[in-house]
Amino acid sequence: MKKIEINPMTRLEGHGKITIFLDEQGNVDNAFMQVVEFMGYEKFLIGMPIEEVPRTVSTICGV
Amino acid sequence: MSKPKLAYYLAGGCGGCDIAVVDLSETLIDVALAVDIVFWAPTVADAKYKDLEAMPDGSIDVGLISGNVRNSEHEHIAHVLRNKCKVLIAFGICATNGGIKGLVNLHTTEELLDKAYINTFSTDNPNKDLPQTSMVLDGKYELTLPSLMYARPLDQVVKVDYYIGGCPPHYEHVKKAFTALLSGQLPPPGSWITMGKAVCEVCGRNPVLQGKPKKFATTVKRTIDGAPTEDGCLLEEGYLCLGPVTQGDCGSKCPAANVPCRGCGGPIPGVKDYSLRAISAIASMLDNEELIEQIPDPVHLFYRYTLPSSFPYKRLKS
Ligand code: SF4
Ligand code: SF4
Ligand code: SF4
Repeated sequence: MKKIEINPMTRLEGHGKITIFLDEQGNVDNAFMQVVEFMGYEKFLIGMPIEEVPRTVSTICGV
Repeated sequence: MSKPKLAYYLAGGCGGCDIAVVDLSETLIDVALAVDIVFWAPTVADAKYKDLEAMPDGSIDVGLISGNVRNSEHEHIAHVLRNKCKVLIAFGICATNGGIKGLVNLHTTEELLDKAYINTFSTDNPNKDLPQTSMVLDGKYELTLPSLMYARPLDQVVKVDYYIGGCPPHYEHVKKAFTALLSGQLPPPGSWITMGKAVCEVCGRNPVLQGKPKKFATTVKRTIDGAPTEDGCLLEEGYLCLGPVTQGDCGSKCPAANVPCRGCGGPIPGVKDYSLRAISAIASMLDNEELIEQIPDPVHLFYRYTLPSSFPYKRLKS
């Protein structure tokens, strides 16, 4: 099965890629969009005074 | 003469640094006319990694990387850009010191994934599925993901020629940096591009600049504890402000908005370990030792932007 990868997806923060699978005739059999990044704010924010959180989580996406 | 070639890559960041460049507005048009942008991914230009990989080594004059190095894809593209670029710049505090996103290093990858994918009350994941670096779906679709790594600043991965602080760098500072770059008026390689002054030195609240004596802080306050005076030093009033040890290329934006500096500008010249210097600076400005006990959550305060570049942390990892 032929595989086409579009990496990275454009104009997106959080980094994504698209993988397209083609069948024997060259038609699209299936396609997947993956977000390839993982951050971890859910965990590393624990313990931070609540008033500090807004100025910290603004870095989840700055676009 | 051909125009200098420029490349920009966002690694483990948020895109805010990209937007700081876009915020040059009219100046961006001058910059865009003066340079040939050969790669800017993933945010601004429609550029693919394979196009970058196909460029000859050393063919790009200046490369900027924002974001830290957090997975195998960031690491790979950092190496590719190092090979392609004559000058490589760590742009923004994620790239120079790890940034807020570097706080992931407080935990193991397993702990981070467990919290995000399994143990949050809003998550519905009965099979406890976690991201896999490779998998075959329905027996025929092979899919891959980059592997996660602890966060590193760029210079722990490749050689860096210049450093620019800020989260993001203020656009006035970006303007100065681009002017220096385009005119070739750069400091020696390995330097920070900065005016070299601390936030305090450009702060309207600095008592010394107002001809007043400096006082020790006699209390420790959270920013929710009352309101600061209009023009007094936040640190003297007990709001722990990291202005004394932070580069002031932002023009002291946070104290001007009544909130203490948290250190995004990066270390003032001569400081190797920002967090340790910040701890000693704050300790030296407190009236008595008991106040230290009252500092809420010192780790997220002193290491907020610089954990992956701090000495104790590097020693732990090695
Ligand atoms: S330094 Fe700040 S603005 Fe720049 S990528 Fe990192 S989190 Fe975003
Ligand atoms: S400690 Fe903060 S508020 Fe005080 S002078 Fe320095 S930057 Fe300004
Ligand atoms: S005052 Fe401090 S935290 Fe605020 S923008 Fe300037 S360097 Fe960053």
